[in-house]
Amino acid sequence: MTEPLRASRGRGIGGIVGLVFGALYLAGVWLEGVGSSIPGAVLPRMPLYFLQIAALFPHAAVNVIDYRAEGWLCQERRWQELDTRAYFPLDPDDKENRFQRVMHFFRDNRPTMHALDEYIVAGHAAGSAARPDGLAAGALLGGIRVMSLRLPLPAPDAPLARMERKPLSEYPETVRKIFYYTPTSKRAERCGYREPPKTPDGSPGLAPGRSPRASEVSPPASDGARDTIP
Amino acid sequence: MSALSKLDEWLHEPLPVLRLELLRIAAPLAILGFMSGRLIHADEWVGDHGFHAPDLGGDYRQPLYIPPLPSTLAWALAMVMTLSALMCAAGFKARQSGLVFAATLAFVAVADRLAAFTVSKMSPVVMLAIALGPAGSRIGFDAWRERRLGGKRAKQLRALPSLRFLQLLPVVIYSASGVAKARGDWLKMPRVLWTQLHDTYQTAVSFALAAHLPGWSWTVMQALVLAFEIGAPLWFALPQTRRAAFVFAVGMHAMIGLMFGPVVWFALLMITLLVGGWGPPALFAPLEALAERLERRPRATEPS
Repeated sequence: MTEPLRASRGRGIGGIVGLVFGALYLAGVWLEGVGSSIPGAVLPRMPLYFLQIAALFPHAAVNVIDYRAEGWLCQERRWQELDTRAYFPLDPDDKENRFQRVMHFFRDNRPTMHALDEYIVAGHAAGSAARPDGLAAGALLGGIRVMSLRLPLPAPDAPLARMERKPLSEYPETVRKIFYYTPTSKRAERCGYREPPKTPDGSPGLAPGRSPRASEVSPPASDGARDTIP
Repeated sequence: MSALSKLDEWLHEPLPVLRLELLRIAAPLAILGFMSGRLIHADEWVGDHGFHAPDLGGDYRQPLYIPPLPSTLAWALAMVMTLSALMCAAGFKARQSGLVFAATLAFVAVADRLAAFTVSKMSPVVMLAIALGPAGSRIGFDAWRERRLGGKRAKQLRALPSLRFLQLLPVVIYSASGVAKARGDWLKMPRVLWTQLHDTYQTAVSFALAAHLPGWSWTVMQALVLAFEIGAPLWFALPQTRRAAFVFAVGMHAMIGLMFGPVVWFALLMITLLVGGWGPPALFAPLEALAERLERRPRATEPS
């Protein structure tokens, strides 16, 4: 019998299982963190998910990214900013907010965007007075439009300003990237229009019914399933 | 002696149980702190009052679809999580409560991908390792009850493979993180750290530092962090560099906690692992004195 096996006698099966599990876990964390394809090749998604803890902040930030939403006001036939924090109260003011996370992970996933659309419209209808979302409580909401703001980083050695949340209207169209909006037909149905809604003024070149151009829709993150923030 | 035998000897070398006790007290509290913002919105978080991505049928971004819980069950889960964490920290049925806490942590990490971060994913394993050791044997309610019942005096030193695991965990994370950074932008761009200071994680401290420190200082810090992380296995393995590595790591996490808003809980958990695993023995002297004082008190079965 080899030395280690002899040494492991008396530790019990539980102890040996624990040691093997611990060693495999640490090896998995390391391999996954350094970008090896081995964990992904041999493990189902769920154990792999628990190993994704080490690759933190590997890349420089290119922009400051903030996700926002607008609601389609049926009566006024226009988009108006909607405060999603009313419907996503966890960590309301930073990028750990669940709305920010929905957009981070699923902005290019239609079923999730449709579910988000239904959730916000239903939430507004059910109780926007209790959870102020920036829209008039009685206003009928026909749909949503969600986007990212891609704000440039300050120039090195330039004077800095504190990060603050400003109204959407204070940001130029050039920093907005729209990922999803409620289809025209759906808005018409919810609003009870007999004819298609008019083209909204002030929208970033996105008439209802037209799909966003490729240049207007940001690509999904290459590491969309991974967290690179702790 | 073969390398495996040396490894076996290292794994089973007697270590102070108080190190594990410190982890048992502080880790659940740090994790609970991270979870606190979620727990107060349990029905939004894992319950059916909040938004949840639909079942995406095996989409790579959804490790497992778990339907949202009815609100009552979500609140019950939040209560079980909170109580088990507090019980473990208090040393009340420490091992059992640690296991329950670990199970609730694993569930919420999978049930809500949106609010899951590094702490969410590593904490079930941390708690499992704590629960598998002699948690609560020296300090806490379990230890007090054992003394009252006239049980044997708890050992001060024991073979603690689970503590070895918890020692290695931060070192492995640093090492992998360092390689990931080197493969990313950290060797190509001089101001990677600086670029991370301007988003919604920004605190008054990070803003003040970004506004006042010269640009080159961020490059120096970036280089130091990268060198520390890539070399972490070496820095912690060598007795000559271990103390400096410990101080650097605690300082790094203290800065992370001060500079990146909600990341403070991750920083506290990592500092807990560092102190419990690698803290100098002198740090444990007050805890040892407390444990010994408690152990000297008369037992219920002894004549007063």
